[in-house]
Amino acid sequence: MTHALSQFRTEIRHFFLISILNLVFAAIALAFGVQYIVTAILAQGADPAAAGLRILTGAVALVCFGLGIGWILATVRIFEGIVEIKDDLETEGTAIADNRLTCLIVRMLAHYRNNRKTISNMILVCTLGGVCFFVLGIANSVKVLSVSSAGFAVTLDNLLLIPAMLFTLGIALASLLSSYYFSKFAKVWDGRLHEIEISECALKEKLGLEGR
Amino acid sequence: MSGRRTIYEIYWEILIYCKTPRSFTGIINRCDLNSKTGLEYIGFLAGKGYLSAVTEDGKTRYISTPAAGEYIALFSSLYQKLFDTGPGFRL
Repeated sequence: MTHALSQFRTEIRHFFLISILNLVFAAIALAFGVQYIVTAILAQGADPAAAGLRILTGAVALVCFGLGIGWILATVRIFEGIVEIKDDLETEGTAIADNRLTCLIVRMLAHYRNNRKTISNMILVCTLGGVCFFVLGIANSVKVLSVSSAGFAVTLDNLLLIPAMLFTLGIALASLLSSYYFSKFAKVWDGRLHEIEISECALKEKLGLEGR
Repeated sequence: MSGRRTIYEIYWEILIYCKTPRSFTGIINRCDLNSKTGLEYIGFLAGKGYLSAVTEDGKTRYISTPAAGEYIALFSSLYQKLFDTGPGFRL
């Protein structure tokens, strides 16, 4: 197996994994967004003292819900193209012809060019989503911990909220990690597009287009 | 192949596809081109001697010439060289 094939295969596999992770967490983010909105609406008027916090939680959840939808749509667009390339690469196996490998590389580059803006939006959405879920996680912890002038006190009745809070913080972490990995990929692929622009001189020369 | 490609990627794709004789319609369908741009690209490659027209059963077909091999080899080496470096992280 050539180095190019091995590197290409690894990258496609990693990109595929990150896309799947994104899809799963985007779906969870959406579900959590709905759950928080419903909780915030149902709890209205139950405890006027905590109304401000619930309104804040509901608002953040609404933002998370919107981001979740945007996140899913963006990921699906990227995911479809990657699945096609990955399937073709796996069908070819390790004895892939040189031209076939180049063809898949060109397809991946075309896919990246088509979705470059979506990927940068996705990096932004993932980061924002991560921050929103982090705020939700913290808002949950405020329900668990009572703050008074004397300091912090643990409210034992709300201990059941801790797993939910940890889960929310987990989603926030996954979202921020996705953003990190996507930005790493985007940086490398942008570099490759730049390298292609440079190497076009050699292709131009070969085609006798120097003066054009 | 569809999507945003450079002109050199389209030339390469036409030359690869025409390793066996292909009709004009076959080329534009395969390379996702319209008739006008298809004519331009094929005309350019034929003019440079990378494609030659052959007539089979009264139909014109295009085939890559041995000279196209140099362009194809250069293109492949440049594109595969892109993968000398990776994102530099493991999952």
